[in-house]
Amino acid sequence: MFRTTLKNLAARKLRLLTTSLAVLLGVAFMAGTLVLTDTIGSSFDKLFADANAGTSVLVRGEAAFSSDMGDQRGRIDASLVGTIEGLPGVAAATPSVEAYAQLVDRDGKPIGNPGMGAPTLGGIWSQDRQLSPFALDSGRPPVGDHEMVIDKGSATKAGFRIGERASVLTKAGTQRARIVGIATFAGADSPGGASYTLFTAHAAQAYLTEPGKVDAIRVAAASGVSDADLADQIRAVVPHRTDVLTGAQVTAEDQQSIKDGLAFFNTFLLVFAVIALFVGSFIIYNSFSILVAQRSKENALMRALGASRRQVLGSVLMEAVAVGLVASLAGLLAGVGVASGLKSLLGAMGIDMPGGSTVLTTRTVVVSIIAGLGVSVASAVFPARKAAKVPPIAAMRDVAIDTSADGLKRPVIGIAVTGLGAAAMATGMFGGGGIAPVGLGAVLVFLGVAILGPVLARPISRVLGAPLPRLKGTPGLLARENATRNPKRTSATAAALMIGVALVAFITILASSTKASVARSVDRSFTGDLVVDSGAQGAGAGGLNPSFAAKLAKLPELGAVSAIRTTPAQVGGTGTMVTAGDPETLQQILDFGVTQGSLDHLGRHQIGIADLVAKEKGWKVGDTVPVRFAENGVQQFTIGATYEAAEQGGEYFVGLATYEANVADQFDTKVFVDRAPGVDLATARQAVDRAAHDYPQADVQDRAEFKQAQTGEIDMILNLIYALLGLAVFIALLGIANTLALSIFERTRELGLLRAVGMTRTQLRTTVRYEAVIISLLGAVLGLAIGAGFGWSIVRAMSGEGLDTFSLPVTQLGVMVAIAAVAGVAAAILPARRASRMNVLEAITAD
Amino acid sequence: MSTTLIEPIATDPAIRPGVAARALAATKRYGSGDTAVTALDAVTVDFRAHEFTAIMGPSGSGKSTLMHSVAGLDTLTSGQVFIGDTDVSSLDDKRLTKLRRDKIGFIFQAFNLVPTLNALENITLPLSLAGRKPDAEWLDLVVETVGLANRLSHRPSELSGGQQQRVAVARALASKPEIIFGDEPTGNLDSRAGAEILDFMRRAVRELGQTIVMVTHDPVAASYAQRVIFLADGRIVDELTEPTPERVLDRLMTFGD
Ligand SMILES: Nc1ncnc2c1ncn2[C@@H]1O[C@H](COP(=O)(O)OP(=O)(O)OP(=O)(O)O)[C@@H](O)[C@H]1O
Ligand SMILES: [Mg+2]
Repeated sequence: MFRTTLKNLAARKLRLLTTSLAVLLGVAFMAGTLVLTDTIGSSFDKLFADANAGTSVLVRGEAAFSSDMGDQRGRIDASLVGTIEGLPGVAAATPSVEAYAQLVDRDGKPIGNPGMGAPTLGGIWSQDRQLSPFALDSGRPPVGDHEMVIDKGSATKAGFRIGERASVLTKAGTQRARIVGIATFAGADSPGGASYTLFTAHAAQAYLTEPGKVDAIRVAAASGVSDADLADQIRAVVPHRTDVLTGAQVTAEDQQSIKDGLAFFNTFLLVFAVIALFVGSFIIYNSFSILVAQRSKENALMRALGASRRQVLGSVLMEAVAVGLVASLAGLLAGVGVASGLKSLLGAMGIDMPGGSTVLTTRTVVVSIIAGLGVSVASAVFPARKAAKVPPIAAMRDVAIDTSADGLKRPVIGIAVTGLGAAAMATGMFGGGGIAPVGLGAVLVFLGVAILGPVLARPISRVLGAPLPRLKGTPGLLARENATRNPKRTSATAAALMIGVALVAFITILASSTKASVARSVDRSFTGDLVVDSGAQGAGAGGLNPSFAAKLAKLPELGAVSAIRTTPAQVGGTGTMVTAGDPETLQQILDFGVTQGSLDHLGRHQIGIADLVAKEKGWKVGDTVPVRFAENGVQQFTIGATYEAAEQGGEYFVGLATYEANVADQFDTKVFVDRAPGVDLATARQAVDRAAHDYPQADVQDRAEFKQAQTGEIDMILNLIYALLGLAVFIALLGIANTLALSIFERTRELGLLRAVGMTRTQLRTTVRYEAVIISLLGAVLGLAIGAGFGWSIVRAMSGEGLDTFSLPVTQLGVMVAIAAVAGVAAAILPARRASRMNVLEAITAD
Repeated sequence: MSTTLIEPIATDPAIRPGVAARALAATKRYGSGDTAVTALDAVTVDFRAHEFTAIMGPSGSGKSTLMHSVAGLDTLTSGQVFIGDTDVSSLDDKRLTKLRRDKIGFIFQAFNLVPTLNALENITLPLSLAGRKPDAEWLDLVVETVGLANRLSHRPSELSGGQQQRVAVARALASKPEIIFGDEPTGNLDSRAGAEILDFMRRAVRELGQTIVMVTHDPVAASYAQRVIFLADGRIVDELTEPTPERVLDRLMTFGD
């Protein structure tokens, strides 16, 4: 039996290859992701180890709390440097600053996008070469307040040269400084794509922090003093709430933070690899089902000649093992290529990676082989069992192709599995069960619909193919009949595409609902005309210097002008973002929809809270909540008001005075503007544009642009996900091509007959092509239905969190269907060509 | 020009009034060297219009090869074949396909019908592929003749072997082709069902004026024809008109089949 398997494989090398391809692509993507993250991880590990190599101890403020933006800590006194230098175990100590500073290129555009991409930072050029991770690539260290060293990455990006003067946006306004040096970070052009502007210690404090304040102090131990001993010495002299870490701890922490980031990224990509494998499994299942059906006479003969069921089962499974092995090993190889592809994708997204050799770990090899082999064999189990069930007597009979007389069993099981999946998804989304039951539920829904497929395939394909006989005559009629003659095959082929289409439809609906919800919230709460957006989000991302809003306020063309600022803070024990503004002017432009209390005279220790938060936490006006900012300890705030407009006003709102008293760096994230009475929009905008000239990061937007900008990020993510789901769709198309090729092989005589009685090659190609179109439309229709269901559920589930508008993007979904049809045509190209080129006489005399 | 038009036609060896198809020194060789097989050895034969011709001969004598070549399904090593006045060997695939569709009818031994089409759709298949409407009167007559009127909406899987062959005969007749080829059309049927089919074929020629060429091994089947051609080793070795089963059998004996 084993030899028969090998013979089967050898005779069908090409088929083995195309079948393997379905799994191979998924494995390649999986292996590629693992290789990429391992490679990035190891190069960052080395980068940080090198960067901290000379640092024995790091001194910094204690983490006040942790938020989505990481640990938030206050600054420390620069005078500590002197204190530490005086200790006996210290060889050297140098202050370090890590604060917002953004270079402006020669065209006046800020370099980098700290709101979305890598941070743009400023710091102190350390004179101590051992303690500094930076080393001069060319030029010299900065001497006066108006000199700086920049990282090589930014210099290359903007084409800056030594001796040139450039603008830097800082907390203290725009600084003009001469670039006197270009530096590398531990041998890399920049630390992970972040840009760096390095000043003298004096200038850095003046521009980036405040005189006498720095973010950290790096200390080198005198010879013979261990890092741990030095840390103990320093701990004894530093004030309360100061963190003292050894160099090794700092390195471990840096490496961990990269690992955490990579873990998210890794999981994100792996999800798509798993989707691709899931789709691939349908194709393996289908290919093996068809092969087993075509070979059932052969298998029956084997049985009649004395082969046991087990041997027949084994021979089919052996073939699956071969497919799996080819897929895993080739996929693994291809994965290395995929990794470099993904790396350039990241590069295109603005995330630079340090160089380093490709890392292929044992884990990657093992996981890839298990995935490839597992998917192939598991998908072939059902077809193999079917093969083993062929009775020996079938060798004497003509074999019927499809005996889908399952009666009620199939619909009942299909509906049950679909229902189970829907229930699992519901517990995940509505019952707070999290992402795991949602994912599992989705898989079950897909399986359930796939089980129902053969029942649905015939009626739906009939409807989809109904116009074909009229449009394409007999070839169209034959296409429709071919698509419906074997519902199991058609539906299993379509199911693979269904998955991709469902996911694409789902995220498209999610995105359009999000956009619609945002647009609605803007319409509801923003009553002004213009918004100036800095693009910044949260700590360290900078923003607009408050002088800008002050400048706008003086313009006669404008009415109300009011800015908001945002900072990470801890409220009621959870890390979150707090928004601040002047309630009086802000409420002229922003309708908070206050439900209780009043924002008008929000005091120094008062806070406003969005309704959805208040409801969740059970807070009401008059309650006291503990609030903690990074710089200061816990303070008790009274809730002064609750309001609806969480999207524009933020979940927590405090007055400007409170913000200024508690937050180190003052940046406006957005400025809302209303025009003066009688001034038209164009004039008002011109005035704002003029004022914005000196503020390169200011993005002036009207209402429509503002809505769009708020959702700009969605489009970027959407495109990324489209690209990643493209793989699943592509695999499904391979599946269609594979099924068609197998069907055509099976129908050789029929096609020969058709050609003999006068079907032209063109007509035959048309028949094959439209069969493919029907299959892909079937997949698209089922996918759209599922995707719309998923989309609707998530909007229902998240209606409390601002996603309150379900929007069905009809045009986009229509385009999707059209693309599916075109893709079907593409999938049919090769099979159709093969069918039309077959020799008529050979076909008609074939067995 | 107009005066010379008549001349070449009259002298063209291909064109003879009353001839539906002809093979001219048709030779077909497979392989080369020692292993070469000459399936057809310079066969020249006319198939007259409105006549029912049977081709007989031992297995491997070249019957199918001759038929496939004349019908434009196979190409010759040398020689020519004509359907009406069309030189089949000069046609490309597209024209050949059209020729088969419009001028030739086929009845194969088995697997004659497209399983996804019902009987009527199978019968009108060549016409609908051509985008032509069937001649309703003629279609009725054909369907009537083969006795399929109440089976038209059935799929082939719902028809007996004999009924399937009747559908095949009806299809071959439906487009009023210049010639119909049948390769052992009754080879898979029992004698009663076979006799029915043969009777339809004979009536198609006598009453409907069709032209049929049929390959058969069965002397009884051959006796339905008006003329029998005997093939051996790729050559025509004998011919018989007004055959009876006994006379056919006698002739066959002399070739030692
Ligand atoms: N494709 C081919 N390759 C090689 N030889 C072939 C091929 N087709 C036919 N032949 C040979 O040509 C000769 C004639 O074959 P053909 O099929 O015409 O015989 P036939 O008279 O129809 O036989 P039968 O009564 O068995 O159907 C035979 O010797 C056959 O082996
Ligand atoms: Mg033959």
